[in-house]
Amino acid sequence: MLTDNSKKTPLYTNHINSNAKMVEFFNWLLPLEFSGILREAKACRSNCLMFDISHMGQIRIKGDNSEAFLQELTANDVSSIKPNGLQYNLFINSQGNIIDDFVLYRLRNSFLCIVNACNKDKVLDWLNKRKFNDLDIVDETENNAFISLQGPNSQCLLENVVGVGLDDLSYMNFLDLDLGGVKLTISRSGYTGEDGFEIICPRYYASNLWEKIKEGRGRVIPDLGGLGARDILRIEAGYPLYGNDIDETTNPLEASLKWVVKYNSKDFLGKEKILEILRKGIERKRVGFIMEDRGVPRKDYLIYSLQGSVVGKVTSGTYSPNLDRFIGMGYIDINFSYENTPIIIDIRGKSFRAFVHRYPFIKTRVKS
Amino acid sequence: MDNLLFSKTHEWVKIDNDIGWVGVSNYAQSELGDIVYVELPKIGDEFTQFSKFATLESTKAAAEVYLPLSGTISEINKELVSNPQWINESPYEKGWLVKIKIKDFKEKDNLLNEDAYREFIEEEKEK
Repeated sequence: MLTDNSKKTPLYTNHINSNAKMVEFFNWLLPLEFSGILREAKACRSNCLMFDISHMGQIRIKGDNSEAFLQELTANDVSSIKPNGLQYNLFINSQGNIIDDFVLYRLRNSFLCIVNACNKDKVLDWLNKRKFNDLDIVDETENNAFISLQGPNSQCLLENVVGVGLDDLSYMNFLDLDLGGVKLTISRSGYTGEDGFEIICPRYYASNLWEKIKEGRGRVIPDLGGLGARDILRIEAGYPLYGNDIDETTNPLEASLKWVVKYNSKDFLGKEKILEILRKGIERKRVGFIMEDRGVPRKDYLIYSLQGSVVGKVTSGTYSPNLDRFIGMGYIDINFSYENTPIIIDIRGKSFRAFVHRYPFIKTRVKS
Repeated sequence: MDNLLFSKTHEWVKIDNDIGWVGVSNYAQSELGDIVYVELPKIGDEFTQFSKFATLESTKAAAEVYLPLSGTISEINKELVSNPQWINESPYEKGWLVKIKIKDFKEKDNLLNEDAYREFIEEEKEK
């Protein structure tokens, strides 16, 4: 089950001591669950949930031309990121399809890309093949731990642990903090739809910081979350997962990520193709759906119209403990992509009724 | 857990005259994690020993459940449809899946008693 060459995050021992059920995820050993996936997913929306996300790739890009370089290879407008800002962005290939979705930090003299673990090597390769001579592209993933604290009580708890007020830190911004000589980068961001924070922490201090937060302060004691809860929470929030909902066969327009693509204000690799798709119009679209009855929609299940023709395919699905409904997302023929359109999901040869529903499924509470 | 017999696919059967109560073991439910959906057979359906008769879905995966003895379904635990978490909370009592009319008692020889099952799980864990 577990191979010898799987990588351990700096928090591996903490997880084992907390009796986490571990799982291999793109060569990383990570917690799948601690107290139970459903319980954890609920705790995130009522209290706060702490995740180890150290598997996420951290790629730093340094050099005078790093902004121009990133502008050329990404869909969003890098010039619009203010100092200490973060941006959701996409690496796009010449076919206009998605190489990776990632978060870009504008640091003082460089940029930091937080990329998907499954895509890190591919992205490094992609960037290195196209890099200008004066650029440095450095894989810093294993220098740091990456901790996510999500949920309504996370601000209060984190303020107490780091001793700094976080009211002025707005959504998609970060601050650098010196915690007794340890340099932390704290951003207000996440993958759950809740208010929350993501903390980059040097490897040597990670275990300490994790325990300090885990202990709680006052009445706030965080729950610990694994990949299982993380997946439910991101589906409830309508966020795509690379490898499920987006990949190199999907373009941002059909993936409902048009808002990321700044084709009016900048040039980038793949823009011609994107403009061509815009002219022709998309044929399918990533939408959310809710099951009428009980039944778990899973990746690759076929979606049918009421008339019985195949109109799409499920890319993610789950039971949502916060809604007590079964929900999912998938690509569907554009004619069936409208709100409330009734559809049928084929689950192991049986027909289950569902209807198209806009995401997020839950009311998001990110702070702006 | 009196007089339970187990299969190597982690189902249990409790025999009461010619009726067998069937469910999944505590080990099975804990490996599966939170169960969110149960698909049960119809009363009157007939199955042979070790054939698939139900499906459990957890937050992680769908798992097929095999009947430990050949028989005809005589009752199903309808409550599980809206309370699938009972299988996690009480796998040997509230979480029973079906009752069957047992066809061939000799098939018991193909099952494990509680001690043998416990040893079997230990071996499985070491793999």
